[in-house]
Amino acid sequence: MLHFAMETSPYAKLLLGAMKNSGCKVFKERHFSCEDCSGTVSGGFDAASSQIVLCQNNIHQQSHMNRVVTHELIHSFDHCRAHVDWFNNLRHLACSEIRAANLSGDCSFINEVSRLNFGLKEHHQECVRGRALRSILAVRKISREEAEKIVDEVFDSCFNDHAPFGRIPHSKEDAKFAYRDYMNKDRYYANL
Amino acid sequence: MDRPEESRWRPPRVCEDYWTEFRHCKSLRNRFHHYYTYGAMPSCQQWNEDHNNCKQWEMHRSPEAKEALQKSERNRVAEQKNFTPVWQLRQEPPRDWHMPLNQEKPQDS
Repeated sequence: MLHFAMETSPYAKLLLGAMKNSGCKVFKERHFSCEDCSGTVSGGFDAASSQIVLCQNNIHQQSHMNRVVTHELIHSFDHCRAHVDWFNNLRHLACSEIRAANLSGDCSFINEVSRLNFGLKEHHQECVRGRALRSILAVRKISREEAEKIVDEVFDSCFNDHAPFGRIPHSKEDAKFAYRDYMNKDRYYANL
Repeated sequence: MDRPEESRWRPPRVCEDYWTEFRHCKSLRNRFHHYYTYGAMPSCQQWNEDHNNCKQWEMHRSPEAKEALQKSERNRVAEQKNFTPVWQLRQEPPRDWHMPLNQEKPQDS
């Protein structure tokens, strides 16, 4: 399923291309690890080993695999292109979680409805905030109030950082358009 | 000898891409996604204008069309950068990205 995601998902293909372009070519055998995880966690990014962990006991469908791979590749991309202090700077952690929830399809209308979260107008933003909060609380021992404050502080900046997609890819079609733009980027910037 | 810039320049995107972006922008699905994200309908007319200008350049090499298209795309780039980054961007990738897994720190040579 991982191989299929890397070969066919326009989200993953764009991120893999952007990472290669930034000097962080991804090798499946080196940068991915399939493990059994506790609870309902789907995956994670370990900056210390430069590895994406995929929870093989909690990923059962290709669509879920595609989304988890995209989510974790966004963290990897942030690690590759920026000085992200994962362990000591909660604002950095929050920012990458906001971006991953925003750009991976985690907060699509259909995914939210399947979680019984019904909302329409601007619900995507509400979902991104909520999922970023959950991710932070899962890995750091801080209060909910403190986590909310940090998410609020960085939300506007990080929600509007759409790199490397250039847009929020709500659907596979959006992701294909973004991938098309990415493949055209040399011509694009040469003629601005 | 360099060719004049006009003969080297071409639109940032193929003209067909502006048209497909316009159609995609106006689609029901995209309007839904935009409302779900921003609580408002998307503005799509700029894609149509860009397509027209692209065709004007293709057919007549209009300098006004070229300028309008460049201005529009520069605006798009500026909009994508319209935020204050939380972190500092790297000049080089992380040193340990490609290191084997049993070697966490650089060795002294």
